[in-house]
Order: sequence, then C-alpha cells, then structure tokens
Amino acid sequence: MPTLIEVKDLVTNFYTYEGVVRALNGVSLTIHHGTTFGLVGESGCGKSVFAHSLLRIIPAPGRIESGQVLLHINSNSEPRVIDLLRQSETYMESLRGDRISMVFQEPGSALNPIMSIGEQVAESFLFHRQKEMSAAVLEALGDDRSRIPQPLKSILIALYRRAQQNPKAPILRLLNRLPLLRWWGRPMQRQALLRAMAIIASLGIANPEEMLHRYPHNLSGGMKQRIVIAVALACHPMLLIADEATSNLDVTIQAQILELLRELKQRTEISSILLITHDLGVVAETCDQVGVMYAGNLCEAAPVTELFRTPRHPYTQALLNSVPQFSHTGELHSIEGSVPNLVAPPPGCRFHPRCPQAMAICRRAFPETVAVNHDHQVACYLYTQNPRKALGDGQALE
Amino acid sequence: MIENYPRLREFRYTLFRIFRNPTAVLGFVLLFFFLFVAVCAPLLAPPKNPYNPYMMPHKGYSPIPRPPNSTFVFGTTSGQYDIFYGVVWGTRTAFRVGLFVVGIAALVGITLGGLAGYHGGIVDEVIMRFVDVIFAIPTLVLAMAIVVAFGRGLNNIMIALALVVWRNYVRVMRSGILTLRDQDFVAAASVMGVSDFKIILRHILPNAIYPVLVIAFMDMGSMVITAAFMSFVGLGAPKGYADWGQMVALARNYIVGPVEDPLRFWYTICYPGGCIILFVLAWNLIGDALRDAFDPKLRRG
Amino acid sequence: MIAFITRRLLFLILVLFGVSVIIFGILMTFSPERRAAAYVATPQQAKDIPRIIEQYGLDDPFYQQYFRWLGEVLSGNLGWSLVATRPVREAFLYLLPFTLELNLCAAPLIILIGIFLGTQAGIHRDSGLDHVTRVSAIVGWSLPTFLFALLLLMVFYGYFALFPPGVISDDIAIWIADHPDIYRRFTGMYTIDGLLNGHPEITLDALTHLVLPVTTQVIVVVALLMRVMRSGMIEEISRDYVTTARAKGADRRTIYLLHARRNALIPVITVAGQLVAFSMEGSIAVEVVFNRQGIGQWLAASATQLDMPVLMCMCLFMGVVFVITNLIIDILYAHIDPRIRLG
Repeated sequence: MPTLIEVKDLVTNFYTYEGVVRALNGVSLTIHHGTTFGLVGESGCGKSVFAHSLLRIIPAPGRIESGQVLLHINSNSEPRVIDLLRQSETYMESLRGDRISMVFQEPGSALNPIMSIGEQVAESFLFHRQKEMSAAVLEALGDDRSRIPQPLKSILIALYRRAQQNPKAPILRLLNRLPLLRWWGRPMQRQALLRAMAIIASLGIANPEEMLHRYPHNLSGGMKQRIVIAVALACHPMLLIADEATSNLDVTIQAQILELLRELKQRTEISSILLITHDLGVVAETCDQVGVMYAGNLCEAAPVTELFRTPRHPYTQALLNSVPQFSHTGELHSIEGSVPNLVAPPPGCRFHPRCPQAMAICRRAFPETVAVNHDHQVACYLYTQNPRKALGDGQALE
Repeated sequence: MIENYPRLREFRYTLFRIFRNPTAVLGFVLLFFFLFVAVCAPLLAPPKNPYNPYMMPHKGYSPIPRPPNSTFVFGTTSGQYDIFYGVVWGTRTAFRVGLFVVGIAALVGITLGGLAGYHGGIVDEVIMRFVDVIFAIPTLVLAMAIVVAFGRGLNNIMIALALVVWRNYVRVMRSGILTLRDQDFVAAASVMGVSDFKIILRHILPNAIYPVLVIAFMDMGSMVITAAFMSFVGLGAPKGYADWGQMVALARNYIVGPVEDPLRFWYTICYPGGCIILFVLAWNLIGDALRDAFDPKLRRG
Repeated sequence: MIAFITRRLLFLILVLFGVSVIIFGILMTFSPERRAAAYVATPQQAKDIPRIIEQYGLDDPFYQQYFRWLGEVLSGNLGWSLVATRPVREAFLYLLPFTLELNLCAAPLIILIGIFLGTQAGIHRDSGLDHVTRVSAIVGWSLPTFLFALLLLMVFYGYFALFPPGVISDDIAIWIADHPDIYRRFTGMYTIDGLLNGHPEITLDALTHLVLPVTTQVIVVVALLMRVMRSGMIEEISRDYVTTARAKGADRRTIYLLHARRNALIPVITVAGQLVAFSMEGSIAVEVVFNRQGIGQWLAASATQLDMPVLMCMCLFMGVVFVITNLIIDILYAHIDPRIRLG
C-alpha cells in the first residue's frame, strides 16, 4: 500500500501565561493509502493537537516548531512529495477541504448558525471546484434554452471563461467585493447547490432538496454530524481526519456514523481516514492501523489485531488492561498516577513515573522508536537493542 | 507556594491581566493623582472662607478672564474666580458626585437585581418591566426632568442622577445571578447541603459582581460628565462654586477671543476641561482593563 | 415570527404607557399653578392660570388628572412652552428637522467607521491597530461631548476660522426670511430644502455648518460601537464554526467577514438602541455648544427655565423613539438570525 502521509518528528508548543506547553514532543507516524488509522490516547495527550498540526490550523498561542509532514501525491503526472510545513498559507488553504478534510467533535457548534445547510455545503465546492463548475455553467449558457438576454450572456460567458482558467483572477475578485456586481456568481452558486444536494443525497439523507434550505438549529446531533461529513467529503479528499467525531453522539448514532464512514471508504470516496478517539472499542471495530499516544508522544503503532493481541508498550498494556471485560470481577484496573503537566513534563520518557516497568534509563532521555515487527513500532527502552547506544557512548546506565 | 491557593492564584492572574495593559497602569496613576489632590485640597488651595470652602475666592467682578500670573497660578475666570482653587476643590466635588451617585445607584440596583434574580416569579416580572420602561428615556433627559421638578443645585443633580442610573445595574446583576444559579457548581453545592444563603454569598455573589464592578467604574466617569454638563447648562452648582462643569460654563463666552488672538482665554476652558477629561479617562481606563481581565472568554486567549 | 413581533409590539405599548405614567408622576410633584402650563394651548390662556386650575381640576386625584392629560396628549395638545412662546407641538415640529439633520448625517458615519474599525481591532487582536483603536475608543468615551465640542469650536472656528457655529449663515437666513415665496420649507432641513428649491449654495452653507457638530457627534458615539464590535468579533472568531470554515479551506477574508462578522453583528444590533439614546444625549450638548436650533437646545433652555411641558414632551418623544428603534432592531434581528425567524 503506497504511503499517503508521513509525519516526522513533529513538535508543537503552546506559549501560555503559565509557561510553554509542550504538546507534541516529536511525533512520527505514517498513514498509507486506503487504510483507517486510529489514534488513541487519554484526554490531553495531544491527539487533537496532532490533527490540527497536520492541517496547520493551530490557533495562537500555539506554534509548530519543527518536523516534517510529507504528503505523497500520486497524481497522473509524476508522484510528488510535499512538506506541508514548508508551504505557504495560500497553498494550505487550497489543500484544506480539498485533499485533506477534517470533521470535529462538536457537531452542534461546528455549523454556522445563520447560514443554511445548502450554503455551507456548497461553500466547499465554491472554494475548490470553481474550474469544473465554470465549465458546467458555460455549457448551460451555451444552451439556447437559457433565458438570459444577449449582452448579459456574452459578459457572463467571458467571465466564466476567465474563471475556468483562473478562479482567483483579480477582475473576478474585484467583482465579488462589489455589492451589486456580485450577481455574476449566481449561476455558479446554483451549480454548487446542485452538487451539495448530490453529496447530501449520497450520504443517505432523505429529502436532500429540502435539507438545503434548513438551518443547523433544526437538525438533530446525528444529522448535523452527517452534514459536517458531507462538507468534509464534498471534494473527495485523500485523507479524512475525524477528531473525536462520534464522542458526543449517543451510541446508536455513533454506530451509524461509523458504518457510514466505512461505506464511504469502500466506495472509495475517501482514500484514508485518521480516526482520533479515546474509545478502544471503536478502534477495534473500524481501524486497520492503530497509534497510541501519551502526553505528546507516540508510544506504539501497529496493525490493529497485532496491537490488541500483543501490545508491547507498558502504557498500551495498561490501557488495554483497564478496559472492563464482561468476565471480569472485582475492582477495575486503573493506571496509577495522573497525566503529567505538559508545562513541566517528566524528563526522558514521559510515562516513566507511572510505568510499572520503569528503569533508571527511562528518565534520562526519550527512547528511540524501534521496529519490533515489520509494521509494529514501539518507543520504549524495553525493546531498544542497545540502550547504551541510545544514550551515547560513555554514559553509565545508573 | 502561592500556587497552592487557587483563589490567590486567580487573583494574581487577574492582576497580571489588568496591569499587562499599559493603559490600566496609566489609569491607576491618574486616579491616585486625583485622589491625592482631593485629599490635600486644604493644603494646596487654602480656603478663604472656612465655612464654605467650595466657593471660589474672587478679587473683583470683572467679566474678562485674566491669564495665569504669580497670584493666580492658573489664571482667573470670567468674574475673577481663581481657576487653580476651583480646579483643586473641584476634584473633591467630582469625587463626591461620582461616589454618591454610583454608590447609591449600585446599591439599589444590586438589591433589586438580586431580588429579581433570586426570587423569580412575580417579583422578577414587576421589577424587570419597570426597569424596561425606565430605560426608554435617556439618562440626561430623565435627570433633567427630575431636576426641573425638584429644583436646581448640585445636591439635586446628584439625587436625580442616582434616581436614574440604578437601572444600569439591575439587569446585569439579575442575569449574573440567573446564569450562576443554573450552573452545575451551584447544584453541586446545593446537593452537598450548603444553605441557600451561603450559596448566594460565597458562590454566586463573588462571580456575579464582576460585571457590576466594571459598569460602576465606567459610570463614575459618565456621571461626572453628565453632572458637568448639567452644571454647564445652569442646572447645577451656583456661580462661583468649585465645580469643573460650572467653571466651563463661566468660560462659555470667552471660548473665542478677539480676532487677532482667538486663543487668548484658553486657560479658562483648558484647565477645568482637562481635569474633567483626565478624571473620566482614569476611571474608564481602569474599567476597561477590568472588563478585559474579568471576561472569561478573553482570558487565556 | 409574527408571534414574536406581536409580543414585542404589546411590550412596546406597555413601555409608552409606563413612560407616560412616570413623566406624569414627576409632573405631579409641581404645584397646581406650575402644572397649569401643561394644559395651555394659546397665548391668551397663559394668563388665566387660576381659571385653568379650576377648569382642569388640577386638584383632582392622580388617576383622574392622568387620564385627562393623556386625552389631551392623544388629541395633539401638548401644552404651552414658555421658552418658545408657542404651543409645544408647534415648536416641536418646527425644531425637530434640525436635530434630525444632524443625526442623519452622523449616523451612517458612525455605523461605517464603527463597524470597520471594530472588526479590524477584533481580527488583529492585541496588535498596534487594536491598541490604537481601543485607546481612541476610550478617549472618545471619556470626552464629555460638550467639552469636545467647545474645544473643536475653539480650534477650528476660533483659530482657523473655518466651520462656523449655528445652523446657517446670517445672510442666507435673512434672505430666506425675506423671500418666503421663493424658498419653500419642504422638510425643514436646509441641506435638502436647499437642493429642492434649486439653491445648492444653501445646501453647501448648511453642510459647512454641519462639519463640526457631526464630527463631535461621530467621535463620541463611535467609541461605543467600536468596543462592542471588537468584543463581538473576538468572541465569534473563537467559535467552532470558524474552525470548520478554516478546515474547509476558506481564506481569511471569507472567514472574518462572511462568517464571523455576520454573527458578530447580532449583538451589535442589540446595542444599537443604546447608541441611539446616546446620540440623542449627544445632540443636546452639540446643539447647545454650537448654538444650533433644534429640540436639544430647546430642551436645555426649557430645563434651565423650568418649562415643564417641554420636558414632558421630550420624554414622551424619547419613549416613542425608543419604541420605534426597538421595533426596527427586532425586525432586523429576526431577519438576520434564522433561529428567531423560524422559531
């Protein structure tokens, strides 16, 4: 399976009054085409920060310090690898919603309350598909049946020809800012609404035409989340990031949404999914690959069955252990201690204060990531071949 | 060490947020300056008449103001009143007016707002409808109407303003209590067995008071302005009283001097006017900084 | 939506009723002689106070007098103004257009400048522009309108000899008085009437006289609007739907103007009522200082001379303005926010 996105040593900090919060401490992982990658961890471990860093929508006072986010684009021409962290903001704007989309946790507030559903879904097309829609408009204009009188028609045709070549042409931008002349964009908006209706329908929502005119406050939570997914899928992104997308929904709706995502992946509307969640059950059901995060680091990454069967990192083991089983009697297992304060995290491996198998070396420096199996990585000194080498020569282990 | 006391930590964070603003520091500096002047008024400008120190001394009755010189440091107004004296004692007047009006109005407003928010029901309805009606008339107009009914004078201005301005506090207090009353932490306290009264005192009041404080600070300035205008128009202190607004009124005919020297009488308006502006600015700067510091949405941004 | 508007209308009628009761209550603190002036409509009657007290039963119980007075008001008789030596209604209708002119010129400036600067300050929070905007907003809020007006007058009229006070130049005023057949009073505003009568120089002259008053009015009121717009923008920018828009690939302009600002305008609209009230108060100071005729100057003069009927008329007028403004705000609100429109 070809690689889709490769993240190397991503470091993100937040500069707050209380100090510098080291949210991401050098996270590296790889997502392949056509897979669902689940990212698990407790609240506050940095999963969301990771997702936001991929899209570079970290709000101030946060800043991505270093690292690489390599996107592999295998277009019809030669395949290219682009480091997203080095691109301009304009490039990122064209990328977001088009190649990489994100769905958030709170469907209730994710939609603009004063815009209709149709407008909001259509916006995705208006941002990224102007060329195709301009072509469609030109076709409709060329049709003799269109009722627009002649001088206006030629103007429109000229404008849309321009839009087809370069949607961001200065003349078009100027027209968009003037109150009355904005009318030129109407045909394209109608096109966008048609496409919006199509994608809403493809998600299995009944009465898509009526839905276009409704407003977010009329919809239930599950429906809103479906609309948010429609917005994210509008341009068939390569990667869909679902940041706790089902955490705030009740279980039945959650099941429906997950089923929907699976179906969409099967229909190859999305290529890959990065599913961020704290629910191991969801991961077990839907993911191909899993990554476990703790306090800003990726502890372990493996194919799903292997992770559940043979977890290597002590944190993963403790996590799986704490999931209540039907057969279990007696007290529930929990992990001793609490999540560290990321302003002053523990030195070395951030889990070592709570780790039942901690060694002296664990507090010296963060362990390298080691491949235990062909697809299974762990960041733990238990699996490092040569700990001395990890610390550099000449240092004592004690 | 201070980290162990969350209230203290929040307080220190609030102080940080207030003083992070250079404008807030300026506001406090100005305020302390005026406080100093007001307190030391008898020393800075010894009163000629110990029974009525607020009447400005005047040498003569000439209507033409005299520029600053060795005897009259800031010059004299029309009618030969000492501007420096008026400015110094006018500080006391300004504090008196502001503190009286805002104090009474806030007290009344908080009480009524608290009653409305806490009891709800018919009490709430009646109070809020009354407040809604009273909001229909702008402050200045209503205050003028009351002053016309009660008669002129600085005291009546203060009473009139207090009778109008309490309305600013009722809604804010009431909405504060309502939001807090429904919050989970109040329900938690209630479930834990804390009495209603204690809940109000320890949980609701300290949280609901912040917006009231902000409005109180801003109102100090507004009230001084409104009172000054009413004095300017002639509804307030009598001629010769040490009140900044009254002094500007005296300068009214001399804003524009003779053609060859139009700014000749600048001191008649700039000294008292400058004091009004700086005084109100001080309170507004502090109030604005408080608002930014207290607003939970703007915190930790 | 209809239910919403109906409810608001009923509420506003209640407000008018309440305002009238309050004003009347204030009036009743007067002695019967003073109160008699509120019932007088012609100059002859002004001399006949004892008979009026008798005739109008000014010694009767409160509610009787109130309804009698209400009846008079509703039939158009607002009493006699000592200051204007005319019936209150007549003087009011004559002076109102001047104040309207001032406010109609200032209002669009206030709205445009306030929204623009407030939005920019909210977007670029804690930047240099934000601090400058905030500081100037605070300074504008701290400036007493009358003082600022005086200072402007001193500098621009006294020193630079531009922009004179008053409504119109003396020679033009004399010309208008001398030629009632040529110059007809359509709206009562010199700017519009000048054009309607085919004399653009009158309009120009009126505009020159308007520069300083409008500047004063704008600078003092815009402070409030900027502040509310700024905090509204800051709040909306931090909302989830803005993050969604960013993740969709929206450019900054779309995010700030089409998403955030539209939502931020909603609380700004509710503040608009306060702004109108504040503008009214500002007009009073501006008219007094710049010696412009208008209801503000009339009010100040009436207050000093204890002319009660005028004050009552003004309070009633303010009540009506409040009611109308609230109605407009409610309609705008329902138009912008679909949650209210569709329930």
